[in-house]
Amino acid sequence: MDDGGGCELSARPGPPALARERTPTGVKIQIIALRHEYRADDGRQLLALDGVSFDVSENEVVTVVGPSGCGKSTLIHIIAGLVRPSAGEVWVDGQPVRRPGRDRGVVFQELAILPWRTVRRNIGHGLEIARVPREEREKIVDRYIELVGLRGFEDRYPHELSGGMKQRVAVARTLAADPKVILMDEPFAAVDAQTRITLQQELLRISVLTMKTILFVTHSVDEAVFLGDRVMVLTRRPGRVKESVSVPLPRAQRSWDAVNRDPRFLAVRDHVLQSVRAEVAS
Amino acid sequence: MSARSQPGPALLARERPAGVGPGPGPTLPASLRALVRSSLPFLLLLAVWWAATTALHPRATVLPSPAAAARAAGPLIAEGILPDYATASLKRIAFGGGLAIALGVPAGLLLGSNRLLSVAFTPFLKFFQSLSGIAWLPMVLVWFGFTERTIQVVILYTALFPIVFNTMTGLRTVPPRLADGLRALGAGRWRLVTDVWLPGALPSIIVGIRLGIAYGWRALIAGEMVVGAGGIGFLLFQSRSFQQTARIIDGMVVIGLLWIFLDAGFLRPLERYTVERWGLVQR
Repeated sequence: MDDGGGCELSARPGPPALARERTPTGVKIQIIALRHEYRADDGRQLLALDGVSFDVSENEVVTVVGPSGCGKSTLIHIIAGLVRPSAGEVWVDGQPVRRPGRDRGVVFQELAILPWRTVRRNIGHGLEIARVPREEREKIVDRYIELVGLRGFEDRYPHELSGGMKQRVAVARTLAADPKVILMDEPFAAVDAQTRITLQQELLRISVLTMKTILFVTHSVDEAVFLGDRVMVLTRRPGRVKESVSVPLPRAQRSWDAVNRDPRFLAVRDHVLQSVRAEVAS
Repeated sequence: MSARSQPGPALLARERPAGVGPGPGPTLPASLRALVRSSLPFLLLLAVWWAATTALHPRATVLPSPAAAARAAGPLIAEGILPDYATASLKRIAFGGGLAIALGVPAGLLLGSNRLLSVAFTPFLKFFQSLSGIAWLPMVLVWFGFTERTIQVVILYTALFPIVFNTMTGLRTVPPRLADGLRALGAGRWRLVTDVWLPGALPSIIVGIRLGIAYGWRALIAGEMVVGAGGIGFLLFQSRSFQQTARIIDGMVVIGLLWIFLDAGFLRPLERYTVERWGLVQR
């Protein structure tokens, strides 16, 4: 790790940081000059990401927003270690990412909890893999069942739950494994609008409560601004960091009612909206 | 009991209006009603059989009447022949089928886990699946003679391929994101097999086991006819030598009944307690 570099949390994307030798204090995720090329189904080579660099600080929630196809999802998969980038590096907690690991929890857009496990056994799965003794595991699982509001559904199978509840299970499973950072790839895209608002409020509450470092990818500007301390706007493909926008209101003070009345918040939202729209239109 | 004398709840009464005539009343439990319903085609066959033998009077060595077949069953059971032979056949299917599952599921998982392997092996598997166990019988007889081993090899061979095949294709139906999710939780290769691939492929594996054991059951009867070391198939063939057609029919009835019980007692529960409970298949 770092022995005390000068720069604290770097809020701006800045120049490609390959030259940087050590991870600055307080930086949890370091994305350095990431470039990713892949072969599409029709055989064309596509450039998904090109020179993406930014940091995520400890306890920070950074949201990434951009037009569809800008490589947001690819970015999450690369940080998770599920996809190897064509060039560039990702460091998490001072360690280079080579493969998937339990230091990086992932919540996917499409449901990734297991249909053959009950709610309880899904949430405890990460702990089971980490060989946490049963008694301790049950205690932790119990806490997260409470946290995501699934009390009374512990022994149900996923097919007996609503879409929103399933996604709660996925979030709880990731939280229970106690990763150093949480990566979320449009986790609420598939649920209905009403549930989505509830889940966003809950995630906000949980993020404040657990003080987790979160990188959250979405195509919804509202969601990005509501959840993030900072919003990274990506350009259309190939995805590059267009700008980094800080959201003024502290997360602990946010609720949909509160932010909709806060002029500073609304100004930031409009700014991000314009920024993304310009990308879609250009 | 008639529908009129016992009206039953309104909902059921509407399904079976009063005056339609006697029949299983609305108070019969659903399982019994299903049993009655599924017996109907058998009763129909029995009626046709009975009508044919009554009208045409064929010689008993050509086609015995239902009553004659029933009478022949008495001594078969009393002398212990039928129970012994049925037990022998069931033991063989249990051994051969069990071995086919134990070998076929891991083999299918191995082949299915690698795209190159599964592409390379598909024509090979198809080729040998078409050579049913019975086609191998002459060869196996040369190797193992008229022995228990010959029958076991034929069952194993026949049951193996559907199980390998369906396990392999079942893996392709498991969404890759489930494995990604688990890898992100730190799961290793073995974890993925036990927690994702195996349960995910289970609906297909059960289909394979069902097909495999069903084919194996048929191969077993054929094998027993040729090998002659007891069993229901042997009973059929031996009875033929003495033109005991009633015994042949009794043997055939036992083959069919045993299969139905095997399926209902072993394969259906396996399905009910796994894939149906998980909501992977609807019934």
